[in-house]
Amino acid sequence: MIRGILPEATLVRLAWRSIWRNRRRTLITLSSMAFGLVLAIFMICFQEGTFGRMVDEAVRMQAGHVTVMHPRYLTAPSADLFVGNAGALRARIERLGGVERTKELVMGQGLAKSAVGASGIAVTGVEPSGELAESPLPRHILKGRYLSDGGRAEAVIGMELARRLGIGVGSKFVVAVNNINGELDEELCRVCGIFSMGSEEMDGYLIQVPIGFARRLYGLPPGSVTCLGVVLRNADDRFDVIGRISAMPEARGAAIYPWERVIPEVSGLIGIKRASARVLLFFLMFLVLFTVFNTLLMSVLERGREFGVMLALGTTAARLRAQVFLEVLFLNLLGCLAGLLLGSAIVLFLQSKGIDISKIYSSEVSISGFAFDKTLYPRLTGAVLGWVGGLAFSVTLVLGLIPVWRSAKIRVAEVLR
Amino acid sequence: MNDKHVVRMMGVTKDYGEGTGIVHALRGIDLELHAGDFITLAGPSGSGKSTLLNIIGGLDRPTAGRIEFEDRDIGKMTGSELSRLRKERIGFIFQAYNLIPVLTAFENAEYVLMLKGVPSTERKAKIAGLFGEVGLEGMEDRFPRELSGGQQQRVAIVRAIASKPALVLADEPTANVDSKTGGALMDMMAHINKEHGVTFLFSTHDPKVMERARRRITLKDGMVEGDTR
Repeated sequence: MIRGILPEATLVRLAWRSIWRNRRRTLITLSSMAFGLVLAIFMICFQEGTFGRMVDEAVRMQAGHVTVMHPRYLTAPSADLFVGNAGALRARIERLGGVERTKELVMGQGLAKSAVGASGIAVTGVEPSGELAESPLPRHILKGRYLSDGGRAEAVIGMELARRLGIGVGSKFVVAVNNINGELDEELCRVCGIFSMGSEEMDGYLIQVPIGFARRLYGLPPGSVTCLGVVLRNADDRFDVIGRISAMPEARGAAIYPWERVIPEVSGLIGIKRASARVLLFFLMFLVLFTVFNTLLMSVLERGREFGVMLALGTTAARLRAQVFLEVLFLNLLGCLAGLLLGSAIVLFLQSKGIDISKIYSSEVSISGFAFDKTLYPRLTGAVLGWVGGLAFSVTLVLGLIPVWRSAKIRVAEVLR
Repeated sequence: MNDKHVVRMMGVTKDYGEGTGIVHALRGIDLELHAGDFITLAGPSGSGKSTLLNIIGGLDRPTAGRIEFEDRDIGKMTGSELSRLRKERIGFIFQAYNLIPVLTAFENAEYVLMLKGVPSTERKAKIAGLFGEVGLEGMEDRFPRELSGGQQQRVAIVRAIASKPALVLADEPTANVDSKTGGALMDMMAHINKEHGVTFLFSTHDPKVMERARRRITLKDGMVEGDTR
C-alpha cells in the first residue's frame, strides 16, 4: 500500500508526530482505552477466577472433572445403575498423564429419620481419606470430625439437616433407602460431624458416609460405584482425558462425561452469568471505544486545511488515508498495550493477594449450592488477554476506518479558501 | 517569457449555488499564460481571483469552458490525474504559508520531492541548495511554529519550486508579512523566475507586487477587465 507512494519512513514519521501534536488529547485517548481494557480484564479475570475456584471445589467434592458412570445414570440417577468392578478401570485411569486422583462414589437418595422428624436426603458414599485431603467439605466441619476409613455406619450431615432432625454429634438416626433390588432398607447411623457449607441445599440435604457403608446400604457388590470421578491437574484437559478413557477396554459400556454434564446447574449458571457479564462488558467497551472514535474523528476533522494543503501539493487520497490509518494504528497499539500491561499488573497483584469480600457480604455466598470462599482470587490467562486485547484492537481499528475515510473526503478548494 | 503557453483558458465559467442564490464567480474567462511569465492577478475581493487560481491549479472544476494545462484538457482529468499533475507540474504558495506543522522546515520543503520519489541524497542536496539561495541556512530543523512569517513563506516558496514545476500559483503570498519582508520575497521569486524559468501567477492586492510583474491581469465581477504587459 505504502511502497511506491512515499518512502515508508516519511509516512510513519508524519503519522507518529501527528498523534503527539495534541499531547493532552492523545494521553486522554490512550487513558480511555487503557481504562476500558483494565476494566474488561479485571472483570473477566475476577469472574473466571471465582468460577474456576467454584468449579474446582464442586468437582473435588462431587464426581471430578470427568465422571465415568452407567449410561442411564445421568438421566435417572439410581443406585441400581452402577459400574461394577471399577477398580481395574480406576487403576488404568490413574496412570494417565494429567490425572491428579480418582475417586469412587456411591450416590443415591434416601430418607433420614430421627425421633424428632424425617427429611429427604442425598446420600454420598465417599472414600474418607481421599476426601479429607482434597474435598472442601471436611474443611467446613463445625462440630465433631470428618468420616474415617473403614466403612463404619457413620455420617457427616449439614447443620440445617441436624436442626430439622434434632440431632447432634454422637446422635444416631435411621437412613432409609431403596436398595438395588427395589427393597426398602434401613440402617442405623451415627453422626460423627456436622458441617456448614453456607448453602441451604448442601446443609439441609446432603449427608456423606463411608463408601463401604453406602454399598451395604444400597446392596451394591464390592468394588462397584455409581460414579468414578477423575480429578485433573488442569480442567482444560478433560476432553482429551475423556477420549483416552473411552479407548480403554475396561470402560466399555460405561458413559464418560465432563463435569458440565454431571453438574449442569453449575455450568448452566456459570454460562448465564458469563454471558450477561460479556454483554455488560461489550457495552462498556463500546462506550469507551466510541469515545476514542470521537477523538480520532475530531482530530481528523480539525485538520481539514492541512489535509487540503497536502492534497493540493499532489498527495494522493490513498496516501493521506494511509497516514491517518497509521495514526489510528499507533494510538490503538499504544492504548491496547497500556491497558493490557496495567490490567495484567493489577490482576497479577490481586491474584497473589486475593480480594476479601467479607466486609461486603457478611452472609454466605453460594451458587447452585456451592459456596464461595470470601477471599476471591482473579485468574489471569493468556486467552483472556488475547481476546480482550484483540477485541479492543479490532473494534478500534474498524471504528477508526471512518476517520480514515473522512480524511481525504474534503473539497480542497473550500478548505483552502 | 516565450510563446509556448502553459495554460490556456477558453470561455471558463464557474458558478456556485443554484437557482436564485447562484453566484457567478467566473464569467467566460479567455486567457493564455506563457512559459517563463511573471504575472499578477489583481482585482477587488470577490472578483474571482482565488477561484481562477483554484481552477488553473486543478483544485476546482469549471462549470463550463475548457482549460488546458500544457495542451492537456484538465477538465477531463480524473482526481488522481489531477493529483499527479499538481505534484509534477504545479507549485502552490498560500497566503497563510500552510506548512505541515509536524514537519521541520527542511522536511516541508522536500515534501513534494518525496511524493515524486526523488532519491534522498538528490533531494537533500537540492533543498540544501535552495535553502542557501533563499537565506534559510540554519533553519532546517525548525518546525513552522519556530519560524517567523517571512521564514515560513520562504520555506513554502522552496517547497513550491523544488520540483521544477511549469507554473507556480501564489495566492497573495505577501499579504501576511510586512512590506520589507514582502519586498524580499518578491525579489526572491523574481530571481527564481529569472534563473529557473518558472512561470509565476500571483493574486494580489498589493500595488508594490503589481509593479514587479511583467504582465498584469485585472479581474472584476468574474471577468477579465484588463490584461497589460
